[in-house]
Amino acid sequence: MKSWLFAKGVCLLPLLVFIQISFAAQAANERNSTIITALQSGEFDQALELLQSALRESPNNPQLWMFQGLAFSGKHDSQSALASYKHALKASPDYLPALEGAAQIQYQAGNADAIPLLEHVLKIRPDDVTTHAMLAVLSEKKGDCSTAVQHFSRATPAVESNPDALQGYGFCLLKLKQTEDAIRVFKELLSSRPDDVRSRRALATAQLSADKPQDALATMQPLLTSDADVETMRLGSAIYEANKDTPAAVKILRDAIVKDPSHTSLYVDFAELAMDHQSFQAGVEMVDAGIKLHPDAQLYMARGVLYVQLADYEKAEIDFEEAEKLDPSLGMSAAAQGMLANERNQNDPAQALASVRAKLVKKPNDAFLLYLQGAILSKMGADPGSTDFKKGLESTQRAVKLQPSLTAAHNLLAKFYLDAGENALAVKECRIVLQQTPSDQSALYHLVIALRKSGNQAEIPDLLKRLAKARQEATKQEGERNRYKLVVASESQSK
Amino acid sequence: MTITRRSFVALSLCASAQSLLAQQEGGIASRGVKAQAKPAPSGRPFNAQFTDVAKDAGLHAPVIYGGIDQKKYIVEANGCGCAFIDYDNDGWMDIFLLSGTRLEGAPPEATNRLYKNNRDGTFTDVTEKAGLKAVGWANGVCVGDYDNDGFDDIFCTYFGQNRLFKNNGNGTFMDVTKEAGLLQPGPARWGAGCAFVDYNRDGHLDLFVSNYIRFSFEHAPVPGEKSTCNWKGIPVNCGPRGLPTGRHILYRNNGDGTFTDVSKQAGIDVAIESYGMTVVAADFDEDGWPDIFVACDSTPSLLFMNNHDGTFREEGVTRGVALSDDGMEQAGMGVGIGDYNLDGHLDLFKTHFIDDTSGFYRNDGKGNFDEVTRAARIGVETRFTSWGAGIVDLDNDGNPDVLFVTGSVYPEVEKKLPQYPYKTRRVLFRNLGNGTFEELESQGGEGISAAHSSRGCAFGDFDNDGDMDVLIVNMNEPPSLLRNDLKVKQNWLKVKLEGVKSNRSAIGARVIARFAGKSQAQALVSQSSYYSCNDPRLHFGLGPASEADLEIYWPSGLHESYPKVAGNRLVTILEGKGLVPNRGWNR
Repeated sequence: MKSWLFAKGVCLLPLLVFIQISFAAQAANERNSTIITALQSGEFDQALELLQSALRESPNNPQLWMFQGLAFSGKHDSQSALASYKHALKASPDYLPALEGAAQIQYQAGNADAIPLLEHVLKIRPDDVTTHAMLAVLSEKKGDCSTAVQHFSRATPAVESNPDALQGYGFCLLKLKQTEDAIRVFKELLSSRPDDVRSRRALATAQLSADKPQDALATMQPLLTSDADVETMRLGSAIYEANKDTPAAVKILRDAIVKDPSHTSLYVDFAELAMDHQSFQAGVEMVDAGIKLHPDAQLYMARGVLYVQLADYEKAEIDFEEAEKLDPSLGMSAAAQGMLANERNQNDPAQALASVRAKLVKKPNDAFLLYLQGAILSKMGADPGSTDFKKGLESTQRAVKLQPSLTAAHNLLAKFYLDAGENALAVKECRIVLQQTPSDQSALYHLVIALRKSGNQAEIPDLLKRLAKARQEATKQEGERNRYKLVVASESQSK
Repeated sequence: MTITRRSFVALSLCASAQSLLAQQEGGIASRGVKAQAKPAPSGRPFNAQFTDVAKDAGLHAPVIYGGIDQKKYIVEANGCGCAFIDYDNDGWMDIFLLSGTRLEGAPPEATNRLYKNNRDGTFTDVTEKAGLKAVGWANGVCVGDYDNDGFDDIFCTYFGQNRLFKNNGNGTFMDVTKEAGLLQPGPARWGAGCAFVDYNRDGHLDLFVSNYIRFSFEHAPVPGEKSTCNWKGIPVNCGPRGLPTGRHILYRNNGDGTFTDVSKQAGIDVAIESYGMTVVAADFDEDGWPDIFVACDSTPSLLFMNNHDGTFREEGVTRGVALSDDGMEQAGMGVGIGDYNLDGHLDLFKTHFIDDTSGFYRNDGKGNFDEVTRAARIGVETRFTSWGAGIVDLDNDGNPDVLFVTGSVYPEVEKKLPQYPYKTRRVLFRNLGNGTFEELESQGGEGISAAHSSRGCAFGDFDNDGDMDVLIVNMNEPPSLLRNDLKVKQNWLKVKLEGVKSNRSAIGARVIARFAGKSQAQALVSQSSYYSCNDPRLHFGLGPASEADLEIYWPSGLHESYPKVAGNRLVTILEGKGLVPNRGWNR
């Protein structure tokens, strides 16, 4: 998105200068006319000289400060320009040309300080398309897709003509799971850039997310040639798999690995494919090959996860530790080790708890570890009212606060509340989970039980239907995963 | 939370941590649940000691069931049940054991077996004489007097054709499957659990049969062929997941020795997506009508509530007995029924696969259940694949204990992963009397600690000494007969019911014994544990109490009270008449 950000900034600048000067000219006196003429003819040094004496005479004239800002902008001195606009705004906070000038500079620098300025502009001119577009881009850059989408939708003319903006819009829609809208936007993008690989991949990704794997395959078909790049091949693999063509998914992923053996994500993809088809040994062997070429933290993580499936906890632990060593910032590693401690100490939950707590000392605000602590305490059977129960509840509450999207923690919280007889709170947590994941079986079940216990039966029949459907869907997905098995060389030879 | 490949690409790694690390199993639901912490030992002595006396008692023949070192198909793996039955009405429990066969053909020992109790601690194999020799893949047994002639009959489920053996009253049985209208045309069905139950209260025992999967050797995948055919990365027999589900059947007794399939009109056939196993029929909501609970493997268990008009409504999920406490399917196999907290209501205990706890469900008396597995400290045990189970007072202290038997379904796994042995110990939980249980690993005797790959088990007093013994099916080994020898004698009371207006076996009756301020409910059922049938004489440990007040809720709807019934004896109660002399009880 950065390239679009800058491109947009450059394209808007002349327009802005023209508008601002025209606006200023309406009220210009003779002195100002000379300054404006200098600015319009690109004589910025002369303009600055004129402004120096004018500002001495009228130091609180916002228009003069704005002119100075324009002059510095013309000389590409953004810092001085920004300081001038700020002077103007100090003298007159609603002075639109200065607001726009300052916003423009901050926006071009990719600075979030542009946001309050642009919002201020919108208070004065609520339907300003360019301002909405700029706010959309900044919000998207900040990761605030819901705000971005609101602004994108009000900046249609500006966005439609800008492919990068369209891509950002589509990306945000996808992130917000508004997949049909994302498909519409990406189709528009692709029609404006029919040969652009990224646009095609973006559309296919949206179609895949919308559970339209056949459409995704049709979109990607022109790219799935022998000279496809590895990112295209990765996506192609996911699309083949979604179309239940696992052999093709495996083949293209293997080809991608051959093409770029140092691309670690490909091995992780393969590990995931192996997981899906319970072909853990095959996954381990492929990730092994990746680690030999490129000992990457994520690869160790992936292999550790596969070892857990094979009940080879010692190797899993070594891999998780290696992952942590290679990349201490890999948030997953501590969580994985916590989970592993839980897994291998299945008959010694106290040990598992101690291990998780030790990791929490190092990372006291790790939401997943906090959740894990709550989960272990819950599974240990802490009685409602007991110290352990309270600790588990508090730990889970903190996990939810730190990472509101952690549905497992909301589910656990619902369970704690159910156990405590706090049915209304349990209902609330279940509904939060179901908002994010409408087919979450635990949340649906806990909601049924919580509603039954609170004597609220009306909603239950519908929830039971949803639960049955969620189960069917889970079974179906499991069936899909089970239809194919990846084998390692030694296995295939023995058959 | 299932992480698909797509979401793996799209989502952050952290979000998927939990599901990535949760072990995925092949064909059987297991939640990868960790055991809860074991509390400090209570230090209290346990008075029941179990000794396996099968060999001395003459139970030599192995229970043939599929391959010994490898199970190619799931049909070889699930094993079968057993029953305590007094087939000759002499007041001593005889033994009936089911049997399977082998893929390559039945060895000579492969047959169901009836052992007559010699009343001296030994048994005599009377299978052939009794006309009960039968070879096949037997699964479940339920016992009841379906024709009200005063002699208990036997119904056996099979992969193939189920069989009804009518007791002729002279020590012999007759296979009346065809005459009773129980032949099943079409492809072989996999009959699993069964229960005699008078669902319409007409005084005749009807029959419920759960079906496991639709299976055929021709179409079944083999180990390693599919992902559901692997466990811990090792190729094993496939299923039940990935195989089509069975359809359960309710047969109405026509009162003339024949049955009619009423599954559709009774609302049973709506449950089409379950791998049905053990069946327990009892009045869970205490409305006077029997309900039916079906433990289901890797699918939600079923609770059919009786509508009093010949139909049922399935409410397992809403009533809290269908799924785990986190809403997941479990591998429901065996079922114990009893009143662990002495509140006068029938609770349920359900056994599951390895890496999962068993499920303990407390009944509120209205048929709504709360899972109390962890609260009762049953969650300390997850190491074993668990099968037959009972909520039975083993030490006569007045608090029903829990015992279940275990054994893997994958004999081939332990060669590569010794931590997952095929033969595993029995599990004993002593009821501490405060709503919690204590697992006893070293107490309970060698009969508890011995490792076998066990399946069904039945609880009963084969030596009429006033405590509960245990009969256990072991795969491809002779059965175990655990004789209970109490180190300290406590009081007890046995109740034998005989129906008049109700079915003669009084199956479906609910009895509440009140003693020492406690109220213990028990139900007379024709199947529980795992595909097995317990001693029909309801056994109440009384602890120091020397007597109990009895309340009997007969299947006909009659409610009777018997105050101050003296303990340490068997009482036989005839419906509407009162106490009558015991048959054959010579204690």
